[in-house]
Order: sequence, then C-alpha cells, then structure tokens
Amino acid sequence: MSSYLPAVAEQLLRDIKKVYQETSRIPDDLLLALKFVFGPSALQALDLVDQRSVTCLSSPSGRSVFQVIGGSGRLYTCYTSCHYCPCPSFAFSVLRRNDSLLCKHILAAYLCQTMGLSQQEVVTNQQMSDILCGKAGRGT
Amino acid sequence: MADILALVLRHNSARPGDLNNFSFTSVTAASELGVKVLFLTPTPIQKLPGPLQDSLANLNPDGLKKIKFMYPRSQEELLQDVASLHEYACGPAAPPSLLIVDGLERYLGAGAGPDGSPQKEDQLAAAHISALLADTAAFLTRKLEERSEACAPCRVIVSFDIARQGHASGDLTAPDPVLSVLDRYFPVRGTLDRDWSSAPPNTAGEPGAAWQLYFSGVGVTASHAAGKEEGPFLGQQWCLAIRPNGAMEFSMNSSENQTKE
Repeated sequence: MSSYLPAVAEQLLRDIKKVYQETSRIPDDLLLALKFVFGPSALQALDLVDQRSVTCLSSPSGRSVFQVIGGSGRLYTCYTSCHYCPCPSFAFSVLRRNDSLLCKHILAAYLCQTMGLSQQEVVTNQQMSDILCGKAGRGT
Repeated sequence: MADILALVLRHNSARPGDLNNFSFTSVTAASELGVKVLFLTPTPIQKLPGPLQDSLANLNPDGLKKIKFMYPRSQEELLQDVASLHEYACGPAAPPSLLIVDGLERYLGAGAGPDGSPQKEDQLAAAHISALLADTAAFLTRKLEERSEACAPCRVIVSFDIARQGHASGDLTAPDPVLSVLDRYFPVRGTLDRDWSSAPPNTAGEPGAAWQLYFSGVGVTASHAAGKEEGPFLGQQWCLAIRPNGAMEFSMNSSENQTKE
C-alpha cells in the first residue's frame, strides 16, 4: 500500500514507526507533521487508533484485508495493497475533489500497521471472498 | 502491464491482428509468454473472429488452453469472481498472470446523472473494481513468486469505452471522472482515438476505419526512466487500421516520432 503514498508521507510513517517502537508515543512534532501532510483526517484517524478500531483479517489462503470501525459504528473494508474505502469521504474528498490523499479509515489502517496496534483475526477463505467483494462487513 | 502491451504491439506491427483487440491480447500473451490469462467480460464469446482463427496456426496450440473465460453479468458478480480468486491460488494449479476485464463501462450501471455528469456511484464503483483487481494482482504476484514461477508478476488490463458509458460524449479531450479514477490504480493508459482525417466516416471497427493509439501514465514515464525495452514502444503514437477482411494492423506513427525528436 505504501507505493500509493507520496515519498514525504512514507518517510513520515517510517519516522513514526521508529520513534513509537522506542518510546511508545508519537512526539508533538510528528503529530504536527501528520496534520500537515494528511489534513483534518489525521486527528480523526488517531482517534480511531486510540479506540483500537482497526482489525487485520487474514485467511488460510494468505489473503489479508483491513476492517475499520467508523465513528458511527459502521464497518469499512480497506485493501492492503492499494487505497480504497467505501466511505463517503473517500468518494467525495479523494475520488471526486481530489483534495485529500486518503480518508481517516485508510490512514488509521496505516497508523495501526506502523504502530503495531491493529487487532488480528482469522476468517475462512469464503468469508474473506465475501468481505473483499463487499457482500459482508461492508460499511453500507 | 507495459511489457504485455509492448509485446502485443511488436507482435502485430509485422502482421495483421484481430478485430477484438483484447481477445487477441490474451491469446498473444498466453501463446508468446506462456502465461495463464483470466478474461472477464459480460458478453459470452461464442467463437473467435475469423482473422484470429486464421492466425491460430502460427500460435502455440496450448495457448488457448491457458485462457480462462468468465462472464460475470453484473458488477456484483464481477466483484465476487475477482474476490474469490485467492481461494484457488493455493491449489496445485498456478494462478493467472494476467487479468483482463473487457468493457468495464458495462459494469457501471448508473451512467450520467441529471446534469450530464457521471454519478459519484460510478466513480466509487470504478474505484472498488479497480482496487480489488490491483489488490488481487498484488496477492497473486506474491503467490507466483512463492512458487518461483517465471510468469510473475500478475498484471491487469481493463478496457473502458467512455462513449458507450455516455461520459463526456466520447470527447477524449474533456477530463472524464471515471477515467481519472482508473488512472489512480493503473500505471499505463492506452488511449484509442478515432482518426477522422485519414479514413472514411465508417462506424467504429468497420473496415476502412483508422485509429490513433497512444500511451500515457506513470508506468510509461517509469519505463523510460529505467531505459526498459518496452519504453520506446509505449512512448510513441501508433496507428491502427482496420483492413477489409476485418483484421487490425498496427504501425508506428512516423510523423509523431519526428515531432518528438
């Protein structure tokens, strides 16, 4: 998924990972950088991280996917190797207006990956197929 | 994906190809590269067009066996078929190395909105299909590499007809919202534009029709920067002529080359 991010965002996530592994916290300067690079979705994503809203699902086939519980309690499925989220913000701000890099759910998935805070869950291959195509666990 | 397209252009610049470019791409890829192809389209293909049947004698006879045709009739069926590919990737058979979706616009049901612009559902649906294809290709690439298969990575090719979809009245100079979404997920865009100046005004695809084909996108730029072999092929403009027997013939646009030089 990182190849879809600009270099500055990738570097920022690397910096956060390094510091978080050493201190278990994100210093203010990196929080400000997050806000600068990702805009208002940064704080909302950090809130989702605090609430442990991100789960990484994996199946026996080796396929994996993120599911993020949104602020309203709805479940959003985000892929691991490219940016997609069925939420309205992704449709409007990312796809339509092109004024955001990504929505808060995808950023929360990035941050949880970076900080090692995502929940882990195993599903069957059939369940994974249903989740990937949006038949199950979709935020609609 | 760039190497597949370069192969098809090289292959067809010397001899006529087939009217259905995508089926010809899949046959060429399967025959020349020996890779497995998954071809997804809403309309079942009853038989191969004549010119392709004629050229089969020159192709590897096992080529067609490497192509699997699937005919999902709706957006939901397409997503389901692509999403379930991981279930078969762990079996004894190697997974496909090329995923082709012919006619993506036919899976986007909403079409133009009241103001003539595509509805945002179309953009989100195009993003969902494209992202699932890209994510699936990344997964299948890992599986192919684990098997030490020479046919890694897994590539994706999608066709999208903006005229049929009703967006921008087929005007390629106007930005198309769905195309801009596709550009997010696919590194190379091949634009096929009718050449009205050099051919009689036939219906698209009819004998005598001429087309201009050119490539753009970050994938082309990256190929040039890396000095890859396919770079020069993809960076140039191509002419596509439909011959009286329905066959297609590609040729490099020499005036374009001179302009660039």
